[in-house]
Amino acid sequence: MMHEQLDISGLVKRFGGLTALNSVDMTVGSGELLGLIGPNGSGKTTLLNIVSGYYKADGGSINFERRPVLGHAPHQLARQGIGRSFQVTKIFRRLTVLQNMLVAGLSDGAQSQSEATDRAMGLLRDLKLERLAHERASSLSGGQGKLLEFARIMMLSPKIVLLDEPFGGVHPELKRFMHDHIRKWNDSGVTIILISHDMGSIFDLCQRVVTLSYGDIICDGTPEETRNDPAVLDAYLGDHHGAA
Amino acid sequence: MSLVAILEQALNGLIVSSFYALAALGLAIIFGVLRVVNFAHGELYMLGGYAYFLAVASMGLPPVVGIVVAAAALAAMGALVEWLLIRPVYDGRADRPEEYSIMITFALSILLLNLANSLFGPWPRRPEPLFRGGVEIGELIVSGDRLAAAGVAVVLIAVLLAALRYTWAGRAVRAVSQNREAAAIFGISVTRVGMLAFATGAALAGLAGALMGPVFNVVPPMGVIPVIKAYVIVVLGGLGSIPGAIMGAIILGQVESFATILIPDPSRALAYKDAYGLVLLVGILLLRPQGLFGTKERRA
Amino acid sequence: MKLQTLRLLGLGLILLVFLALPLLLGDYWVYTITIGFYYAILAASWALLVGYIGRISFAQAAMAGLGGYASALSVQHAGLPPVLGLAAGVLVAGALGFVIGRLTLRLHGAYLGLTTIAFAEILRITATAEYQLTEGSRGLQVEPLLQDGSRSEYYYLFLAVTVACLALMTWLLRSRVGLFFQSIREDEDGAASLGVNVTLWKTVAFAISTAFAGLAGGLYAHFVQLITPSMMSLQEMGIVLAMAVIGGFHNVVFAALGGVSLQVLLEGLRELGEWRLVVFGLITLLILRLMPNGVFGTVADVLTDRLRKSGDDK
Repeated sequence: MMHEQLDISGLVKRFGGLTALNSVDMTVGSGELLGLIGPNGSGKTTLLNIVSGYYKADGGSINFERRPVLGHAPHQLARQGIGRSFQVTKIFRRLTVLQNMLVAGLSDGAQSQSEATDRAMGLLRDLKLERLAHERASSLSGGQGKLLEFARIMMLSPKIVLLDEPFGGVHPELKRFMHDHIRKWNDSGVTIILISHDMGSIFDLCQRVVTLSYGDIICDGTPEETRNDPAVLDAYLGDHHGAA
Repeated sequence: MSLVAILEQALNGLIVSSFYALAALGLAIIFGVLRVVNFAHGELYMLGGYAYFLAVASMGLPPVVGIVVAAAALAAMGALVEWLLIRPVYDGRADRPEEYSIMITFALSILLLNLANSLFGPWPRRPEPLFRGGVEIGELIVSGDRLAAAGVAVVLIAVLLAALRYTWAGRAVRAVSQNREAAAIFGISVTRVGMLAFATGAALAGLAGALMGPVFNVVPPMGVIPVIKAYVIVVLGGLGSIPGAIMGAIILGQVESFATILIPDPSRALAYKDAYGLVLLVGILLLRPQGLFGTKERRA
Repeated sequence: MKLQTLRLLGLGLILLVFLALPLLLGDYWVYTITIGFYYAILAASWALLVGYIGRISFAQAAMAGLGGYASALSVQHAGLPPVLGLAAGVLVAGALGFVIGRLTLRLHGAYLGLTTIAFAEILRITATAEYQLTEGSRGLQVEPLLQDGSRSEYYYLFLAVTVACLALMTWLLRSRVGLFFQSIREDEDGAASLGVNVTLWKTVAFAISTAFAGLAGGLYAHFVQLITPSMMSLQEMGIVLAMAVIGGFHNVVFAALGGVSLQVLLEGLRELGEWRLVVFGLITLLILRLMPNGVFGTVADVLTDRLRKSGDDK
């Protein structure tokens, strides 16, 4: 049986008078591929920002591999094995693709420059970015940028990866390629939490789906259970967000 | 300290505040619309002083006309600067727009300062003021030129506030300040409002310079100190906030007026006079970067 | 490979020219270029901060002044030899830079610009106001760095220190630290998500940059043997900014070359009077607007491009 890797309990986050997360409890097992869905403003990205250290919480606790997460800076959590992507890719546009990779490879000081370069080139090869290694990242297409962000995260050798809308604006062929890679990572033992509005991808990839609405978890089950849950349907239809 | 002395300090503070407010409002409008801190604002103020000087002393126009000339000249200059230098900030031509906007306005200030030095020479000029003589209010004596200039400044500020509230252009400026995208959707030309804002901001700086020039002196570095006050004021009130700028000016005027009498050694007190506002600025930016009256912007 | 050798060749050639100059020029020009080396270090230190980590500062000239005063006063009052005075200046400027860097972590862009202007002006006003210590705007007499040093001795000393500073900066910026700086410039959140300690490097970058500025200021003070608060003014800061921008502020060597060459040009065009500063300001605006990599940066880009293309043809 897989052990509990990420344990979130009673997590609260408020922005002024608005409650973004209303005492959220959730555990994620090591090696899971979990989908996190919900209408706009339901608190998905807020949750992800707290787990990766970008936001402070107003209450509750988070443990990652039995170590507390809250109170740690993003770079510390990244080094402890929490990798994340951003809705709008945050690649370093004026650095080369390889330099983008090296930032992640060298940040904890454990690898030498040549070791990190070798590893980076290997990962770039996997993602078919190898021949662009010495180009500036600003010359990449949107989809290539998403792939570079993937590759950079893998450079960290993370234990868990939080993906925030990785398929936004990506054409279908590339999306399939990304699906394959997400599965491959997951098969190699990396836990993945996937936020997406793309229900096809979510139901296709994930064994378990958690649905947030107005800061509450309204459903936590298999894709089948989620699809048939009236509360989930209500949350989406009530907000006029068709499940795309 | 006697009551009269206190009143005198307070009144002096208010007079100074009205000058400061005029200069700072231009900075606030420009920042509100364009998200650009105009580091050349002090030099626009200085050019306003010279425009007034040329109109009144060289061309022999009456002081009131001189002030109008200064405003018009600086409005034209502001529109030109916006078109030539500021537009790349938001039309995507500048690679790093914020860095570019800071450096380009800072470089512009150096250019204008040296241009004035070359064109007009470093000598101080003293054009005819709006009004001469002293005014007595009870036991208080205030110099007339300062009071007149302050009065005009207050009227101008009132006119500006009314224009922002009741004219179509003013409402467009406020709309763009609050939400650029929404304003654009409602058919407001963001480019045109940007030019209008920079021209208005420059005109306000020029007006302040034209009013102040005869009270102090018209000289190339005359804008260096007032612009720093203007920075303090807009930061106090929250960058881009117009009511904030007015409150900031009132606060700074009083702080400077009274803080000077706290240091017993008078020559030292005088030397440090310009530092109080700066300490205030640093404190605000570090503790409450949204300003005393602003609301916090949430990081998305 | 070829590009690398060409680059080294170019730098070697420039160094040779600087080594030979005192043999060809009179005392006046040797003096002028020595001052140019002060600007070179200062412009490079500013470029290190603005060009690499993307933090703007208008306090660089004030930091040079602080380093100068700290060095001069510690020599005068604590009886330190000038070399240790310089070290004190570096420490004081670096320490204040560390504090400012730490305090301004959350500030960006124009907000950071305004804060650094305030710090710069507070320093300048303090140097003016504390006249018992600093002689105020009359200026403070400073011990010479070299007893009975000749113009060319100072020249070679300044040249050596400038080259050493640039080598140190280049080494740092080529290392992983330089990579972290640039990742922070490009995207702070993105850098943090990859394990870069953004807080640490932003603070350290400020401290390193101001420490170099402090060194430049100390050297200048002990060379000219007079220091006044006007070297801390925003006008002086404008000149440093213009030098770095014209040279190319995305590269410390280009910024330094901008510093020396503009100092020489400004002296050479003396008969134009104040107009040369107008031209100088105009060029800065044009460069910012049309040639954001600066003169040397653009020349280097064009050469690199040519070389690449000719390599492709083969």
